[in-house]
Amino acid sequence: MPARNHKRWNEVPGELREGEYIDSRIYSDRAIFEEELAKIWKKSWIVACHESEIPEPYDFRTTTIAREPIIVARGSDNQVRAFLNVCPHRGNTIENRPSGSFRNGTASGAPRHMTCMYHGWQFDMKGNCTHISREKEGYQNRLSRNDLGLRRLRCEVHFGGFVWVTLDDAIGKTVEEWGAGCFDCLQKHVDAEPLEVFHYHKAIIHANYKLWHDTNSEFYHDYLHYHNRITGFNDAYFARQNTGFENGHVTVGSFEVQYDKYEGFESRESLSFPGLPPNHWYMIDMFPGVNFNLRGSALRCDIMTPLAPDRVLIEFRGLGLKSDTPEERMSRVRHHNSIWGPFGRNLHEDLLAVTTQQAAMNEHAEPRRILHGRHENNTIHDEIGMRHFYDEWGRWMNRRPSDPEKPYAAAA
Amino acid sequence: MIATHDTIRSTIYEASLALDECRWGDWLALCDDGFYYAIKAFSPEIRYDMTYLDGNRAEMVSMCDLLPKHNTDRSPLARHTVVYRVAVDESDASASAVSSVAVYRTVLDGMASHVEAGSSNLFLVGKYHDRFRLENGDAKFVERIVQLDTRRLDKGSHWPI
Ligand code: FES
Ligand SMILES: [Fe+2]
Repeated sequence: MPARNHKRWNEVPGELREGEYIDSRIYSDRAIFEEELAKIWKKSWIVACHESEIPEPYDFRTTTIAREPIIVARGSDNQVRAFLNVCPHRGNTIENRPSGSFRNGTASGAPRHMTCMYHGWQFDMKGNCTHISREKEGYQNRLSRNDLGLRRLRCEVHFGGFVWVTLDDAIGKTVEEWGAGCFDCLQKHVDAEPLEVFHYHKAIIHANYKLWHDTNSEFYHDYLHYHNRITGFNDAYFARQNTGFENGHVTVGSFEVQYDKYEGFESRESLSFPGLPPNHWYMIDMFPGVNFNLRGSALRCDIMTPLAPDRVLIEFRGLGLKSDTPEERMSRVRHHNSIWGPFGRNLHEDLLAVTTQQAAMNEHAEPRRILHGRHENNTIHDEIGMRHFYDEWGRWMNRRPSDPEKPYAAAA
Repeated sequence: MIATHDTIRSTIYEASLALDECRWGDWLALCDDGFYYAIKAFSPEIRYDMTYLDGNRAEMVSMCDLLPKHNTDRSPLARHTVVYRVAVDESDASASAVSSVAVYRTVLDGMASHVEAGSSNLFLVGKYHDRFRLENGDAKFVERIVQLDTRRLDKGSHWPI
């Protein structure tokens, strides 16, 4: 077909149907973005960190979900708990470091306590307020530390030791139930023994968070990656299955990767995760923006924090087994980072592609149709993963992904 | 003849020029056969010494050879390198140096180029920890550890730093 005039360009191409394309405004519209934070991100289980980042009692880690500051801390009872990282006095952030330990005192606080540096209020690892400076003098009997505990958040350590937090007290689902079976393909491999994070880096890119989730949810873009074309494209690769699960999650089934086809790369057979067949590669994309990717010897986890319609923070983690010898660990690090590190072969290409994708979807630019219409028996180059995600998205938002001004309707 | 501090300094600066200009072969020609390269960073987030990329000479050669097959942000990188400390050990013909490095990226592509192309942004900061083998007044890199402070690397890079 020749290049199209404006009218033809705006028509639904070919015989694509509702559900097989979406409207680009859902990647750029500010009102939709705010609504997503309220209706989706504040109502979901999100990964805050991995428990190996807070191995000792009094260790903590801070993060944010949907703009709310969060602190995760391990108590003296070894229990991991999550709180809003907000002081009940005048709303200061209680802890400003990304991680650390409360075992020793801080400049204005006692050991084994979280202390708000501003006026020195203190809290224990269970979120009890334990000290208010000049409590009686200031509040007489009108208010006491018993009224001023931290805001506790539901928190679970699950699926390979990840720390899950939700802002919604009434979520009504455990993390296991939230997963709805999507983790079955990996659970026994990641729960066989404790894992440990060996890699962390961040990217803030000019892209909507869903564009990053999309690139994790479809493998058609392997044409982007020289490494994947050379090590992956064979019959077993094209037979990999996409499977949709309740709550918008999607998995991509495995096959055997031929790593030695890329010059300088080696087989990962000997370091496969417990019980995993050699050189296999599973992918789990959890709604609304948490991704797990196990390439035989190294587990990658992406956690998205949407910052604006066209801005997302992505935290990249790599994990191995806590029991690794230094040599094993070094090999895992290499396996992970040669592809997925900030200087790896594939990650740069993925980040480049979604950034340039967003560059053509400016706020208030003409809406465009983004096509998700490939059907190949749910195999690797079928776009079912995205269709599944956006159907769920439409339901949570009560908006139609193909026309976000209309209310949700299930695709025919 | 033993290389002087000036030789070490100019070898480091030549390497920066070659890397800035993506002359990978010229960069690797400054490196010994036993060369080892690594980009590392300590993460206070996970309290872990990380290795973001590493390889021996042969691995760096094949990585650079395969670059044209990859989709890469072509925005040039400019290294601002300052050699802080040089130590020469004449007894075993070796030397080491510590340099500060800041790398700027001048946007060419990789984002909305009509708006962004031509602007320069700080990509990363860190230190070069270099070791050299000295021979006939010449210094060859035997090791370069790029120790990054930056852990927010955004789009990252395919290129050695
Ligand atoms: S704001 Fe925290 S003690 Fe005052
Ligand atoms: Fe990719």
